[in-house]
Amino acid sequence: MSETDIQADETVDAIGSACPGPLMDLIGKIKDVDDGTVVELLTGDEGSKNDVPEWVEEADHELLDIIDDGEYYSIYVKKT
Amino acid sequence: MTGYAVVLASEEFERVQAVSMIASVAASSDVPVEVFVTMNGLNPFETETVENMDFEGGRVADAMMSADTSSPLFTEQLEKAKAIGPLQVYACEMAMDVLGNDLEDYVDVFDDTLGVSGFLNRAKDKQIIFV
Repeated sequence: MSETDIQADETVDAIGSACPGPLMDLIGKIKDVDDGTVVELLTGDEGSKNDVPEWVEEADHELLDIIDDGEYYSIYVKKT
Repeated sequence: MTGYAVVLASEEFERVQAVSMIASVAASSDVPVEVFVTMNGLNPFETETVENMDFEGGRVADAMMSADTSSPLFTEQLEKAKAIGPLQVYACEMAMDVLGNDLEDYVDVFDDTLGVSGFLNRAKDKQIIFV
């Protein structure tokens, strides 16, 4: 069990959904929130931990951290 | 380049599913996408086919349909993406005529029917992907 000091403002639970579900859910949430909001994406999809950072970079947001919780990943993204 | 124009001419489940995924992620990221569904590509969109999950496909299709963690079906995927971003899905008028179908025979993902000239007009400024 890994830990992080990052406090998320919003959480998107995409556990159980496969590519591109988690990314789509994250994009939807990021569109809804204000700049500076930290969104935590929960996903068990292995592909997401590589694909989400690609999208974050292209969309000019900030990837804060990816935590491996064993059963799933917590991916922290700050909207910029 | 201002987006993608996708021609979906295959009824193979994996190809249809891949088109829905790529088109959806692009449109959700505000990249305009036009999908032109033509020839046998229309078959998996028939209401009866979707209701019975009676798709043509191979190993990946079998695995996807029986997986615990499932990707959304292409119909749901496209509907969801259309609500978020610039995505239009068109059904080929000619292929529908040949089959004696109209839009009511298909699930509700199509914005309209379209012919070749209409597609080419919409594809003028886009990168074309033929599937």
